[in-house]
Amino acid sequence: MHRLKLLFTCTGSYGMARRGTRLKSVSQALLATLGSLVLLPALAQDEGNLYNTGFDVRAGESYFQRQCSRCHGQDARGSDETGAPDLTGSLQRASTDAGVFTILREGIPSTAMLPVPVDTPDATVWQVVTFLNSLRTDPANINLPGDPTYGVSLYNGKGNCASCHMINGVGGRLGPDLSVVGERLDPDEIRSSLTDPDADVAPRWWTVRVTQRDGSVVEGLRMSEDTFGLRVIDENADLWSFHKNDIESYERERNSTMPGYARTMTENEIDHLVAYLFSLRKEN
Amino acid sequence: MKYFAILLVLTGFSSQLLAQQLREAPVTPAFTPVTWERLVNAADEPENWLMYSATLDSQRHSRLDQVNTGNVAELELKWAYQIPEIDRAETTPVVVDGIMFITEAPSNLVAVDAVTGRQYWRYDHELPDDLRICCGRNNRGVAILGETLYMSTLDAHLVAIDARTGNLRWDVEVADYAKGYSKTAAPLIVKDKVVTGIAGGEFGIRGFIDAYDPDTGERVWRTYAVAGPGDPNMSTWSGDSWRTGGAATWLTGSYDPELDLIYWGTGNPGPDWNGDVRLGDNLYSDSALALDADTGNIEWHFQFTPHDVHDYDAIQIPILADIEFQGSTRKVMMWANRNAFYYTIDRTNGDFMVGKPYALQTWAQGLDADGRPIRAPGMEPTYEGVVVSPSIGGGTNWFSPAYNPQTGLFYVNAFDGEQRFFKRDEDYEEGQRYTGGGGQYIQPMDTYNSAIRAIDPATADIVWDFPIQPRTTAGIMTTSGGLLFSGSVDGYFYALDAANGRELWHMSVGARVHSAPMTYAVDGQQFVTVAAGNVVFTFGLRD
Repeated sequence: MHRLKLLFTCTGSYGMARRGTRLKSVSQALLATLGSLVLLPALAQDEGNLYNTGFDVRAGESYFQRQCSRCHGQDARGSDETGAPDLTGSLQRASTDAGVFTILREGIPSTAMLPVPVDTPDATVWQVVTFLNSLRTDPANINLPGDPTYGVSLYNGKGNCASCHMINGVGGRLGPDLSVVGERLDPDEIRSSLTDPDADVAPRWWTVRVTQRDGSVVEGLRMSEDTFGLRVIDENADLWSFHKNDIESYERERNSTMPGYARTMTENEIDHLVAYLFSLRKEN
Repeated sequence: MKYFAILLVLTGFSSQLLAQQLREAPVTPAFTPVTWERLVNAADEPENWLMYSATLDSQRHSRLDQVNTGNVAELELKWAYQIPEIDRAETTPVVVDGIMFITEAPSNLVAVDAVTGRQYWRYDHELPDDLRICCGRNNRGVAILGETLYMSTLDAHLVAIDARTGNLRWDVEVADYAKGYSKTAAPLIVKDKVVTGIAGGEFGIRGFIDAYDPDTGERVWRTYAVAGPGDPNMSTWSGDSWRTGGAATWLTGSYDPELDLIYWGTGNPGPDWNGDVRLGDNLYSDSALALDADTGNIEWHFQFTPHDVHDYDAIQIPILADIEFQGSTRKVMMWANRNAFYYTIDRTNGDFMVGKPYALQTWAQGLDADGRPIRAPGMEPTYEGVVVSPSIGGGTNWFSPAYNPQTGLFYVNAFDGEQRFFKRDEDYEEGQRYTGGGGQYIQPMDTYNSAIRAIDPATADIVWDFPIQPRTTAGIMTTSGGLLFSGSVDGYFYALDAANGRELWHMSVGARVHSAPMTYAVDGQQFVTVAAGNVVFTFGLRD
């Protein structure tokens, strides 16, 4: 929903400039084919990303699907098979359009991130930047029904969220750190995490129950598991490391340890919590 | 060979006695030229690892047994070699008379002392900056004949390097990299030729297998893996789709000296996931080819996945062996395919003998009497996406399987994955990706099962299964010490009992093992080597 809205916003906001932009796009593509590649990046960066219409989003998406999706996934959410990162939230290595442009153009040395082919026109690279921007939910374009101030109270009070979650170093250790959750999840995803926490539990938050040889049981969150071993954090935040050959058995539970709030909170209260959590960003 | 008799006696003795005996072992001779006869009989000199898959039959089995089921737990690190260019090492080193040859990303080669890991020389291949590569800057290994090493490069060249100095002897362009061609696999020496394939199946290339003169680099023959003009099987491609038919040949094949046949796998048809533009069976994509070694003529073919729309490359190492099958000894080829079916095939004529799924699959209802898949309805990729097993990565992939003649078992790294497959309309543009779709995992990788599976080639039944968490992209090696060595994505290198899959030893090597292990001996001491992350680790028993 929010992504569609943003795409519409992009088209609408830049509609007036579209003709000029397209002319620029064609002329730059022509220049690129004539071999004037060296000058273009500086020119483009000086003027910012001029390729930011709805058309450019679609063109960038087309290029992305063809060239980038193998590693980053069709939905750009990354892949734990290839190790390519999720590109729909904040990016670790670039915070500006120019930074993303540079990564696409130059790649990231000593990683699997290769540069785009050298004969790729700047216009195309900018369109990919625009497409990636369209995947991020810009808070300025979102008008949420809830009030973040009420959300804080619910977080610390009725929700008792801080008993498990940490924000800026304060809180519990048995749930994901929420300090910048607004950059990782869009409002719909935050809402579904609150109301249906069992729907999509990442392996890091699965529960494991380890029965040791002496019959004692250790239960906790699955920090990591491999062929021969298993690392767990228990409810006291003690860390355990087991060798699978040395234990009796273990079970994995893929449900979340977080309670669903659909029954215990009103829709308004959920709205407030969503508004608060979505406001949690680096700049805040 | 005398000192191998000594090694046999050593098995089970105390480490002190072992060390004493080792000191008395003969000194490994200085590097001597690797003749064709040595390559044919490579199994008889297990102190050396003379080619990518160890022997021409690609069994990837070593007769070394100093390290065995009784002492493998005593393995310790002997040396580590850090590859300077950070990427993902896929190399299987070659060892000749105490010298190890390691290929590195992107297309470099280094020679080191196999006892210490210290460098003799290195060759850095100059590459253009606009390569067209689908899946990382990899190189998997070299071939050697005489005193010359042969290596593929990412710019689709074949280079010949002097084994004593690292000097470049010749460099030929196999294909134009700007059109999407590249090369990553170790070549195969067959008599007086260097046989090599090509990569680029995601760029609308037309795949082929080439043979080159080892002295001059002159091309002797080329056999296209996509049937074209003059070949009646061109009719298996609608319209002009053969021109961009893919069928890359991006791994190394095998050779049977008695039948004088080269066996080589071919990759997916192009575009990968949109079959609408290339109706028909699309021969010889996703096939095993048997080629006349002198002419390159296709003597027979066996297509595993006709009209593939899931990227189920037949890019696996063909393993050749003579096995007992229904009361008689048969010359077979064993093949666990990316499409999740295992096949035993008569390698004299390409006839299907037996085949069954060895990993989770939903795309086919089974195999018919000829080994042709019976497709399950509704499993073709769609614009919206359809969930199919195995995933694009396959039930297995290019990771070398192994066959142990002592256990009679075939071993493969298997993955029970699934993915949502999409198709996309795409026009061919020279040098650009041409895949027509893709895939998306719908659950975390930790959700899926993975395992090393031992298969009886006479029945295609799974005999044992060793679970891997979360999965593996490593090759397998077995030895006459009763061992199976392999690695996994979770950064372990380990040894199992080849007879029953029991774990005997493991070592955390800290990064994904994306290569296949190999073994060799110098001055009577056996070493076991594997590349993990960007490091080549070599292990041996305590001195």
